[in-house]
Amino acid sequence: MTIALRNPTLLRQTMPTVRCAVALLIALAMGAASAAAADLHQTISQAQKKIVKLYGAGGLRGLEAWQTGLLISEDGYILTVWSYVLDADRITAVLDDGRRFDARLVGADPSLEIAVLKIEGEDLPSFDLAKAVTVGPGGRVVALSNVFGVAQGNEPATAQAGVVTAVTQLAARRGVFETPYRGPVYVVDAVTNNPGAAGGAIINYRGQLVAMIGKELKNSLNNTWLNYAVPISELRKSVDEIRAGKFVTRQPSETEKKPAHAHTIAGLGILLLPDVLDRTPPFVDHVQDQSPAARAGVQPDDLIVLVGDRLIQSIKNLHSELEYIDHEDPVKLTVIRGHELVEIVIAPPGERGKP
Amino acid sequence: MNRTIYRCKRLPVVVGARQIAVTTADDWTRRWMGRLGLLIALLAAILFSSGAMVRAGELATPSADIEDRHDLAFQAAVARSASAVVRIETVGGLERVNEVLFGTGPTTGLIVDPRGYIVSSAFNFSNKPTSILVRMPDGGRKPAQLVATDFNRMIVLLKIDVDKPLPVAETVAEKDIRVGQWALAVGRTFDSDKPNVSVGVVSALGRIWGKAIQTDAKISPNNYGGPLLDIRGRVMGVLVPLSPQAASEVAGVEWYDSGIGFAVPIESILQSLPRLIKGEDLKPGLAGINLGGNLYIGDAVLGPVQANSPAAEAGLKAGDKVVEIDGRPVSRAADVKMAISRRYAGDKISLVVDRKGERISASIVLVDKLEPFQHAFLGLLPMRDGSRDGTAVRFVFPDSPAAKAGLKAGDVVLAADGKPLKGANELREELGARKLGSKVELQVRREGRNLDLTAELAAIPDHLPADDFPTARKPRNVPDGRPAVGKIAMRVPEVAGETAAYVPESYDPDAAYGVIFWIHGAGGLDEQQLFERWQPICDRYDLMIVAPKSADPQRWTPMDLNLIGKLCEQLAETYNVSSARFAVCGYREGSAMAWSAAQRLNDRIRAAILIEGLPMGPSPEVDPLHRFAALIVSAGKPGQNRQVEQVLSALRSRKIPATSWSLGEQSRALTDDDCRLLARWIDSLDRI
Repeated sequence: MTIALRNPTLLRQTMPTVRCAVALLIALAMGAASAAAADLHQTISQAQKKIVKLYGAGGLRGLEAWQTGLLISEDGYILTVWSYVLDADRITAVLDDGRRFDARLVGADPSLEIAVLKIEGEDLPSFDLAKAVTVGPGGRVVALSNVFGVAQGNEPATAQAGVVTAVTQLAARRGVFETPYRGPVYVVDAVTNNPGAAGGAIINYRGQLVAMIGKELKNSLNNTWLNYAVPISELRKSVDEIRAGKFVTRQPSETEKKPAHAHTIAGLGILLLPDVLDRTPPFVDHVQDQSPAARAGVQPDDLIVLVGDRLIQSIKNLHSELEYIDHEDPVKLTVIRGHELVEIVIAPPGERGKP
Repeated sequence: MNRTIYRCKRLPVVVGARQIAVTTADDWTRRWMGRLGLLIALLAAILFSSGAMVRAGELATPSADIEDRHDLAFQAAVARSASAVVRIETVGGLERVNEVLFGTGPTTGLIVDPRGYIVSSAFNFSNKPTSILVRMPDGGRKPAQLVATDFNRMIVLLKIDVDKPLPVAETVAEKDIRVGQWALAVGRTFDSDKPNVSVGVVSALGRIWGKAIQTDAKISPNNYGGPLLDIRGRVMGVLVPLSPQAASEVAGVEWYDSGIGFAVPIESILQSLPRLIKGEDLKPGLAGINLGGNLYIGDAVLGPVQANSPAAEAGLKAGDKVVEIDGRPVSRAADVKMAISRRYAGDKISLVVDRKGERISASIVLVDKLEPFQHAFLGLLPMRDGSRDGTAVRFVFPDSPAAKAGLKAGDVVLAADGKPLKGANELREELGARKLGSKVELQVRREGRNLDLTAELAAIPDHLPADDFPTARKPRNVPDGRPAVGKIAMRVPEVAGETAAYVPESYDPDAAYGVIFWIHGAGGLDEQQLFERWQPICDRYDLMIVAPKSADPQRWTPMDLNLIGKLCEQLAETYNVSSARFAVCGYREGSAMAWSAAQRLNDRIRAAILIEGLPMGPSPEVDPLHRFAALIVSAGKPGQNRQVEQVLSALRSRKIPATSWSLGEQSRALTDDDCRLLARWIDSLDRI
């Protein structure tokens, strides 16, 4: 049969016409199969070029200091999950061809647990989020990520094949999963969600982007680890907003006028955990009785992630952001409490006694 | 489940997945080759419809279409059987079974009979929920009763009341399933209105002794109890966790999502369905046959047949060669194991055995529980001269069957009931498997004359020998080229550090030596003190001592069992160790590990001594090939130590010779005399 494939002409000369037609079909079939196999190889290698290996904070107590990201524009915007890995002064992005870039955190949306980074590049291969597609259960997909950090330097991301097991709502299972995300997810049957894989891509067999691999989550309903990814359609709006300036950290260059009398953490009645790192996350240690924060319902162990629409990445950040809010204005905080995002509006001290 | 441990466990899985990814293109081609017929039809349809019959160069576009068709084929397969896949919810139940933490989440079941019968995985109910609800395809919930459990294949049968017949899926016969064909694992745990699916191939057939289909689709609590479908949506089997090593309801769950998953063939479930519907729990069937040695090499020759077992009642004897089971030819011992493993207690199997050229038919009704096996005892200790010309008698126990029959030290036992027996091990195996109270005629040589003596076999005594026995062998000059003797350091490649051991300086490779594994208590091992004490004792009693150290000096963990197992094998490979006098000794906190080693390494370890400690967990299995004896050393006023009494009576009810000895009223360190007493007990373990 191999000969038939290599030399159909010869066959045609020596075989009766009917058998010839069958042989031709076989030949075409095999051609199609190898063409499709070649296609998948092409598909994967094209998509691998759009995956970046990200390195940042971690390395302690079994926490990995790496994760995966997706290039989403030719000039170097990267979509990834928002995690402690990004709590570093220096985030490094390594491209498929081995080029290393310093990446800047543009912004993050805590409710979706996504972050957008930027590297200074040109003509980079990238996914177009606007062209992302959906896949139904049973649809075949490929996961691309730097799972377990095995890919280094110019090594391409790991490809894992599987199918979509289910499209389900995390929201319907409140308390089951330890994440603030409450939307639909793709559950896949490849073992995708392992350390370092978060921020990777799920593509279909045509190379179209479908979803971004999420952080590791355990299904408390049956104590199994979940292999899942968040549909790009759920993320697109927020990514656009971040790129347009929402959920971003204030840049030193921004010259908004500070009020003469601004809020302070202490003034609100909040005591934070000690500021010991470059970027200590602002966890609430204690809330003073009868303080504005206490009246608004701030609780110990809350992690402050947003002030207004501004992303807060560290205690330093929080101090400086409050400097822009007049002490007579309310302060809108978004905190992570357990696995819920909670919005809190702290009335200014002057409003004490108002109903 | 601990997150870190889990990660470690998961690593090879991911490596596997990567390999799959790397070979995806090839796999894809290969799979398609197997489906050429289908492909031709498919391609013909594409080519004819697009009128591109001859333009082979344009095939790249139709191939993308093939991708869609793949997805559609998977979806269609699931849709065909989806109505028979139900979601099951449970209320109450245990939080934990063995080491496995149970969630409260939904599980899956498969309708197998329109009258409301649903099968599921026994795993889903092993936490014994107080009530079971089945969610019907129309969204309504129905309470379900657990009708019966198949403990051999870990399947449960549930029943709900129905007012109209339920949909049942089409099934495939086991013979029509091929390795490499598509396999779709379906559950209904993520959403009640849509099934969840994982796709793989059939990896193997006839796994777990012929009871399961293996697949690389991801099998987990998300689909246990659901069907494994073929590409046409027909049910091949029901997904369950299974383990070749263990038989509990939760065994195999540690392999979830690993690419190694199992399904019980639906054909075998449907076969046993009438019995399950009657409410009959099905248990694995036991015959009482022992298949010693390698199951895959040589003929299927029976080892000792357990007294009081169905096999013994059917007249089977050690040495019989099984040639046929239920009309099918048998060539290896593994075939016998597989044929019996597939059947249930209460099932009848018919065997044909070859006994010295004669074909003998026997029929056996399998049972779910064998009477605990008890080794029979003649009452002698053999010389350890390695002789193959009968068994020279070293010592005759007073008042034993041998003593009553008139056997004397110095006699040589040549045969039993006319069957020549070449040495002590053969005599022990032959008589040990016989019924207690049965009579045996011994052919004995005494001072050059042959005589016949008749003895009535009794139980192995459980008292401690009061005095040392006469010497077991004549000392001789040791040959050159012996392995290392004296104090030695043993190393196990995958374990850090060394294990100290002592082999008598006078070690003679022709004599079998006893072994004592000393399992230290909390706080580690005082190596010097231990070896100073035991060295002369080992020399005197032909004994070797091995003193492993726990990885954590404060306590033994299950991980250390690996070390002990490897040391056992290493010792047996290097030295002539006795198969009868192999003991493990747990000192205080080390007792639990000693007991666990005796239980897990029961191919090697024949006795356990627990010093100021008690057995924890299951006892070692005892059968004609596996002897076991226990010595419990305790401190406390006589008659006051009720725990020890309870343990002894529990062991004796399992027919394990169990002996106790008191250190006195107060707990105290062992003396030289104490250790000699332990050594003397080990010296008695090659009794016949």
